[in-house]
Amino acid sequence: MEKIIEPFEFRQCISILKSTGRKAKNLRQLRDVMAVASDECIFHHTYQYFLKGHILEYTNDFAHWAGESLEERALSEHLSNIDPYDFKDINDLRNKLLDVIDDHLERFPEPREAMPSDEFYFNETVTLIFPVGIKAKNLAEFLMAIKYIDTGSIYYHFYEARIRLGSGIDDFSRWIEDAFGKKELVERIRAIDPFMHNLEGIKEHIADAVEEEVRRDMEVIDRCLTSM
Amino acid sequence: MFDQYVGVSPKSDLILLQMLGAKLSQRSYLHINSTRAGGGVAEILQRMIPILGELGIDARWEVIEGDSKFFDITKKIHNALQGNAEIITDEMWQYHLKINGQNAEKINLEADAVIIHDPQPAPLIEFKKTGLWMWRCHIDLSNPQIGVWDYISQYCEKYDAAIFSVAKFARAMTIDQYIAPPSIDPISEKNRDLTEEEMNETLKKFQIPTDRPIILQVSRFDRFKDPIGVIAAYRIVKKYNDCILILAGSPATDDPEGEAVLKEVKEFAAGDPDIYILLLPPFSDRDINVLQRIATVILQKSLREGFGLTVSESMWKGKPVIGGAVGGIPLQIVHGITGFLVHSVEGAAFRVRQLLNNPDMAKKMGEGAREHVRKNFLITRQIRDYLSIWYFMENKGKSILEL
Repeated sequence: MEKIIEPFEFRQCISILKSTGRKAKNLRQLRDVMAVASDECIFHHTYQYFLKGHILEYTNDFAHWAGESLEERALSEHLSNIDPYDFKDINDLRNKLLDVIDDHLERFPEPREAMPSDEFYFNETVTLIFPVGIKAKNLAEFLMAIKYIDTGSIYYHFYEARIRLGSGIDDFSRWIEDAFGKKELVERIRAIDPFMHNLEGIKEHIADAVEEEVRRDMEVIDRCLTSM
Repeated sequence: MFDQYVGVSPKSDLILLQMLGAKLSQRSYLHINSTRAGGGVAEILQRMIPILGELGIDARWEVIEGDSKFFDITKKIHNALQGNAEIITDEMWQYHLKINGQNAEKINLEADAVIIHDPQPAPLIEFKKTGLWMWRCHIDLSNPQIGVWDYISQYCEKYDAAIFSVAKFARAMTIDQYIAPPSIDPISEKNRDLTEEEMNETLKKFQIPTDRPIILQVSRFDRFKDPIGVIAAYRIVKKYNDCILILAGSPATDDPEGEAVLKEVKEFAAGDPDIYILLLPPFSDRDINVLQRIATVILQKSLREGFGLTVSESMWKGKPVIGGAVGGIPLQIVHGITGFLVHSVEGAAFRVRQLLNNPDMAKKMGEGAREHVRKNFLITRQIRDYLSIWYFMENKGKSILEL
């Protein structure tokens, strides 16, 4: 009996920002608030950085602020090098960020101040997840969908999935593995570096990989047709 | 009306609006502000209420009434909350509360969700009957006269939540503070697509030549919009590129300095035939639309700004915008991608020259600008945010909800 393939249902999430009312105007204040900020706040400024159509110079809001507003270039490079997906617990990530800042403060104990209104504003989000009404039953349908899907959907399935599934794996490659067992395509998608592309770039890379696979599938000659 | 946004607004926003509409169907939703016409809040509410109705929500919009004494007081409160020195006496606060009390007797305040816009009707919370109440603050509270904020916050803290336009406009409060940026309506007279005939009509009216690049700033003649700085930047550009400058704005009737600023601007322009100073009467939406569409580069060189929605209006027309890095402008202009942020006259001039000399870059930036607005600053996104906030407040304590 032929295997029943569960269609891939595209979903999306949107986040509404919430202000904590807290801000920092120098590095020492930043670390003090980071130490006591809610988990949701740390989560927002790290994992959700990718939702904003990020600038590829940085990988989280703390690094971004250190680089752009404080012009602490070395610190921003160190903070950007922290991979949030390496941490199972948000507090481990928080502690790593604090260690890097503390180390910098030890060497440069008098942090410079950000310009007025360029302070760091601590925020959180609430997130709504919803289906976008598109399902793909096979790779060709998946290819068409991924080409035209909103980037919010890419965020949900490519970035958010890594935390949701807890194994650093995205929804797309997991479905392709479960439904079709296409190891090579799965590996190609998993090899896309989440930090080196914006959402449009991720979308293009996945579409290219899937398109190549679909083209290759089209070349296969079905032996039933030729009776060979 | 909802159908007019299909193919314009992001599909996901429209899907979410319908889903939230189904969740909140037949529930009552009341908005209260202090003016029926004029100003961004009234403009958006006029469009928002019918859309909410189409989504199945029983939406209502009420306006508080007051005499000139009341509005003089609320203007002072408004200015003080934005940092200007004002004295609000106990008697004035009492009058503010009294007029709100009179309005509470006239307006049916019963609703499942209530949004009170800005400080004028904030004391209505004292007369709350049912439902979830949100205080929607459209102004920048980052640097208020602290005594005035302390007083008005006694009301604001009684709400179930506050909503601000930008995170940095908010203050530390004991209630939840959501962020929902303002928006433009892509099908309104100010933003809809225009026919060639409509374009020509405005060009003819103002006698504007289109044989050279046009630099434009649309804003009130107000020092914070830096019209003098715009002319100075144009003069630097003019040394390298032949171009014309249009400064278009309404005379600021409620601003005693408006006349003086306009006079200064005219004097500084010194009869340059390539500088067009256009005084637009209220309701010149179509003319503004035309000017933004014919411009090559648009400036919003503000020194101080609220959200600065004219930036999004210009970006929606596919134009690269050069803006001062103040207020809500950096939220709209992603530096180097959807426009340029500048900090000086020289910086503005340099970026104008860069765009005039690189039409491909200007085109690409303009396209990026329009897409950025489509995704982030259209009215459908704002309605989506308001309904999402209401839905989250009904599910208090949850930070993720699945529909």
